[in-house]
Amino acid sequence: MMRNRPLSRPARDVLALMAAAGSGWSHGYELCQQAGIKSGTLYPLLIRLEAQGYLQAEWQDAREPGRPPRHAYRLTAAGQQLARENPPLHPDSSALRLSRRPA
Amino acid sequence: MIRRSARLAVRLAVRLLPPQLADWGRAMAVEVDRIDQDHAALGYALGCLGGALREALVHPDSSSGLEKDPMPAPGRPDPRRLAVLCAIGAIGLGLVYLWAAGASLRHLAMNGGALALGLLLAAGISGTRSPGRLARGGISVALGAVLLLTALFGISADGGARWVSVGGLSLQPSLILLPVLTLEFARRRDGLSTLAIAVAALALALQPDRAMAGALAAGVAALAIMRPERNVLLALTMILAGLAATLLRADPSPAMPFVDQIFYTSFEVHPLAGLAVLGGAVLMLVPAIAGLVADPENRAAYAVFGAVWLAVIAAAALGNYPTPLVGYGGSAIVGYLLSLTGLPARSQNRAVDWDDVAVQPAQADGERHLRTRLFRPIQFSGAPSSNRIAVKSSV
Repeated sequence: MMRNRPLSRPARDVLALMAAAGSGWSHGYELCQQAGIKSGTLYPLLIRLEAQGYLQAEWQDAREPGRPPRHAYRLTAAGQQLARENPPLHPDSSALRLSRRPA
Repeated sequence: MIRRSARLAVRLAVRLLPPQLADWGRAMAVEVDRIDQDHAALGYALGCLGGALREALVHPDSSSGLEKDPMPAPGRPDPRRLAVLCAIGAIGLGLVYLWAAGASLRHLAMNGGALALGLLLAAGISGTRSPGRLARGGISVALGAVLLLTALFGISADGGARWVSVGGLSLQPSLILLPVLTLEFARRRDGLSTLAIAVAALALALQPDRAMAGALAAGVAALAIMRPERNVLLALTMILAGLAATLLRADPSPAMPFVDQIFYTSFEVHPLAGLAVLGGAVLMLVPAIAGLVADPENRAAYAVFGAVWLAVIAAAALGNYPTPLVGYGGSAIVGYLLSLTGLPARSQNRAVDWDDVAVQPAQADGERHLRTRLFRPIQFSGAPSSNRIAVKSSV
């Protein structure tokens, strides 16, 4: 289902962060820290992005022994397109800062 | 303590999420466990709890899955989740009234703190492994004994001994324990549970407490109508005898501001404050009404839940007894949230349920990992929660 309403600032920031990560996987706590949003904002957003086909989520084994699998996220092709169509509202947003960092 | 609170909060978030979002609940729990700083973990967990609450409101229940429809039509509600939401709504409306009536910040904070404590206790109890039948009966008898000890050694005021002091706070154990005790009896109805009800009836007669004796009578009478078994009728007989004893004794307790007579005084504060109080009282009964309509197999539990809380509300409307949830007082708030653990679990209809995520030591190097368990039947445990004004204004 396509969205009709404009995306919120946190949604745009998270999309920009994940678009910048490309095919790399992101995790919940890191996204919250980098986007400067609360977990209560992040998870409903991720849930909707995944439900609408913009986000791929999967359980990945932890690198450290003894740790449980971790839920990881990255944008699908449709999600990348959505991120391009909905850039961050403020040029100084955390997402933009991240995308400008040297690789 | 902070870390434990974070885990409890995220466990509650997991429980609140609709079943099709169970993976997201597990994801939240794993992330909280990944955060090194306790305060940051608690903040993250509380955020998850807020997000889960929002999801619970948007998706009361659905078996269709979000992949097919991001905004599915509401289906059969999860009784416990619905009760949590109704409790939060009722307490919120009560806070509106208290604020409009000029209650102090302490009053508001106390109700808010009781809500947080009740949620954490309910989550903790729901996640505890259920003991055997004998142990459950023993716990019920112990709860009845707490009420009896309150009658014998509790704080007395205006001829009643209904309160205990815990950490400087005056609590009313009957408001905390009696609803869940009644619901446990509705579930078991064995010898030990009947004994526990008899002890509770005796305690309420000794205290005396017409309001809670009436609530116990209403709950067991509703059960007797639906399940007219020997133990139920025996318990009802003893309860009615206890209720009669409370009615024979004078109850000169005066009305206390923000606690008693709120259904009348709230409209004097402001019509909207009065409507908030009435709306909150109705919200308390919504889980019972919804369950009676939507879950015929468990009507007895919903009927008992509804009858107990309707009687408490009626007593507050008719006499100088605490107004639950919408008035000042933490005992009723904690008691309401504990009693929802006696409602049927939606997970009875689920093949696999991740509603219980707990953290346990796993590695010799001190690392922890999350383990998940299939749902287990809810059991309960609990503890009871000066001058005359202090006692009557108990939380």
